[in-house]
Order: sequence, then C-alpha cells, then structure tokens
Amino acid sequence: MTALRTISFTLNGKQVSAQIAPHHSLLEVVRNDFSLYGARESCGQGLCGCCTLIVDGRAVSGCLYLAAFADGAAVETIESLDRDNVLDPVQEAFIEEGAFQCGFCTPGFVLMVKQLLDEHPDPDDDRIRDYLSGNLCRCGAYPEILRAVKSAARKRRASKAA
Amino acid sequence: MTPFELAEPLTVADALRFLDPDDSTVRPLGGGTALMLMMKAGVFRPTRLVSLRRIASLSRITALPDGGLVIGALTPLSDVEHSTEVARRAGVIVRTMRRLSNVRVRNVATIGGCLAHGDPHMDLPPVLMALDASIAVAGRTGKRTLKVENLFAGYYETVLKRDEIITELHIPAQGGRRAAYLKCTTGSADDWPALGVAVSFEAEGSAISAPRVVVSAATEKATRLNGAEAVLSGATIDDALLARAGDAAADEAETISDVRGSAPYKRELLRVYVRRAVRQAFEAERPLSSPPPLAREGREGAQGGAH
Repeated sequence: MTALRTISFTLNGKQVSAQIAPHHSLLEVVRNDFSLYGARESCGQGLCGCCTLIVDGRAVSGCLYLAAFADGAAVETIESLDRDNVLDPVQEAFIEEGAFQCGFCTPGFVLMVKQLLDEHPDPDDDRIRDYLSGNLCRCGAYPEILRAVKSAARKRRASKAA
Repeated sequence: MTPFELAEPLTVADALRFLDPDDSTVRPLGGGTALMLMMKAGVFRPTRLVSLRRIASLSRITALPDGGLVIGALTPLSDVEHSTEVARRAGVIVRTMRRLSNVRVRNVATIGGCLAHGDPHMDLPPVLMALDASIAVAGRTGKRTLKVENLFAGYYETVLKRDEIITELHIPAQGGRRAAYLKCTTGSADDWPALGVAVSFEAEGSAISAPRVVVSAATEKATRLNGAEAVLSGATIDDALLARAGDAAADEAETISDVRGSAPYKRELLRVYVRRAVRQAFEAERPLSSPPPLAREGREGAQGGAH
C-alpha cells in the first residue's frame, strides 16, 4: 500500500533522485538522503520558517511539503548559496549586522530574504515584515535582521549597478 | 505521519475514480498545508490521498467578459494574491492575503483547499461569501454548483460528499461594490483569528444597499448575519447606523468559547469589528467623487492600524 517510489529533481543545481515513501516530507528527504542539514524542523507547523526550502523559485515550508510534490522540480537549500565558496550578499549582511545569536533560524531567514529581494529589490518595512512574518527568531534579533535586509538590498543593487 | 497511498491523477475523471464515497480515510489533497498539520498531529490518518496538483486545468485564473472571475481550485493562494485581474476586480481578496498565514503557506495552499477543509478560522471563506462567490463541484454522477455560503455544514464540516471535488471558484462581477475583511488575533499577530468579519455592499452617496455581512472564526462555521444586513440595507451610513449594525450582529451570532477567547468576549469583539469593517469598506474603496469621510470615533480610529 505504501510502496516506495523514485522521485527525480534538481537539488542545488545537480540532477538527483531519491527513493521516498508518500508520507515523507521534502525536509526529511534533503536531510536524511542528502545530508543537507541547514534546513531543520522546529515548529513542524509552517510557522517558524526554520525548514524553508525553495521549490521552483518559491519558498515553501519543507516540513509541510510532501517529497512526492518535488518530483521534476528544482529544489534549492541554504547550502546552494555559497556554492563557489563566496557568501551570498544576504549572508554577508547577516554577519555584518550581527543578525543572529544562536543561528538556528538563520538559514530560513536568509532564504526568505533572498526570495524577498528577488521579487522586491528595494523593499519597505511593510514588505519586509510581510515576507518575514512566518519566520521566528527566539533570540529576538529582529532589529538586526531588519537592518541586514536593508544592507543586503543595498549590496545587491550596488553589484547590479557595477 | 503514518504511511498512506498517494494517487496523482492527471484528470478530474481519474481523480474521482480514486475517491471512495464510503471511506473517510480517502481524501482529495490540494497543497496539503492544512491536511499535513492534521496528519502530523495524528488526528487524520489517511489510507489514500488523491493529489489534484497534476490536473493542469484546475490552476488557471480567468477574467470573464462580464467582470467576474473564475479561479481554478488548485490555484496557489500566492498566484491569486499576485493576479492583477483579481486586484482589479476583487481587491479585498488581495488585501486579505497580506495577513493570511505567511508567504510560504500562500505559495503552496490552494484556493479550493481552503474551502474544502471547512476550517472556520480561515480568512478567505468569509470574504468569498461576502463576494457572493460560488464553486463548481465535480462528482461521479455529474457536476453541480454551490454558493460558498451554503458550503459549510459545521465545525470542519462541509456539504461536499466524500467522492466530490471542488474544481472552480466563481466570483461574480462586483461592479462598484465595496468590501473589507478584518480579523482579530488574541494570541500572537499571526495566530489563527478569534474573529473574522467580512462585509460587502453597494454605496450610492452615503446610502448602503445589498449588504452582505459574514462572521467567521468566532462561530462554528462562517455565517451570514442577516440581522446586521437588515439594519444596513437601504440606510444612510453614520456612526449611529454602524453601532446598530454591530449590536444586531452581536445579538444574532452564536459565538463559541475556545482558547482564543470566551463566547461573550467574542460577541463584544464582533460588535466592534462589524462597525470597523463597514467603515473601512466605505472609506477605503470610496470613489473620488463621493462625500467626505465619516467623523472618527477617536479611540477606535487610532487603533485601525492594528489590522
């Protein structure tokens, strides 16, 4: 009844396949089958953003996303950002602004900010809060995170202009 | 989650064949964001889920020549949120989306799923009822259409049969109707609401006609408030009218107690939020040539930004 199936997808730009059961989440697959531990399950309800993954260019909660849905899709994790050993401007900005303490929520925040800036290169505060309202930082680094978003936006615009 | 079988049919006809009228553990699946919460909590243990996401014909947004909209049931909420046609023809939906869960959930959850789930706390069902929307439903014995206001049968219950699927949402042309949705969350800002209020009406100068007032979250299902509508219908909008409409709503709604507030507390919330919602709809969507805004009820107006 719950036969395993093979799904194929691109993971951080590489074509991969995995044997999954229908009830596996995409988060379980990237962690257990591909040892990518940047995304993690925290609230398990789509509220906290720690499990954020990008599927076909859209942020999803990996803990609420069936792995079967990723068949044929392009999946990106936080590990895709420094592929060439160069940090993404969003990562740089988080470090420079000290936008974390323990770092548990940071991969999810960074991916959501990247999605925000892809869609809104110069976001106002309302827009930033809209995109980040589903990410929780229990260390309370929100003021630094807001600063990091604006700094990252400036960095990206500057590198585009150059 | 407990294991289950996953069917991924390519057509509505095939999807219907995978459903079972006699088995409550077989259900259609949209984006899965709501159902997976239930499965993770162990309150729903399916034997088979029938995913509708590969049925391409179910995820289109069509602008009708008459001003209406047809939205495929599998359309992700974020596609609806970012549709310029939806913004132009039913702006209240786009405004509602900004505080509906979060970006990631809106990227995955579907418009049909949020109706079929029957959860009275969801934001869009009362809005769609206020807009007089209807749904197309496919079953083995044929198709039927149903007003969204007649869809809900109780707490997490709909009138859909186990082998029926919502295929489309139809939003009729709104013409010059004005609409608003307000909710009150009593826990964190992004918690499920203790109360939702959706309103829509026509306004000729200060005269209101054909009002629709809907309460959600505080009642066991999203419900039209006929008493409040009767107060508003044909009346001239002013503070006294808003107060009477709020009182009528509070008198007739059967609020329920839960972790988000007691029934009497939600009744008082409703009294205030009906006033605010009608006011916001009247003012926010006021055409340029209409009369000046109402005098503010000081304190209430100052809190408006909290929504």
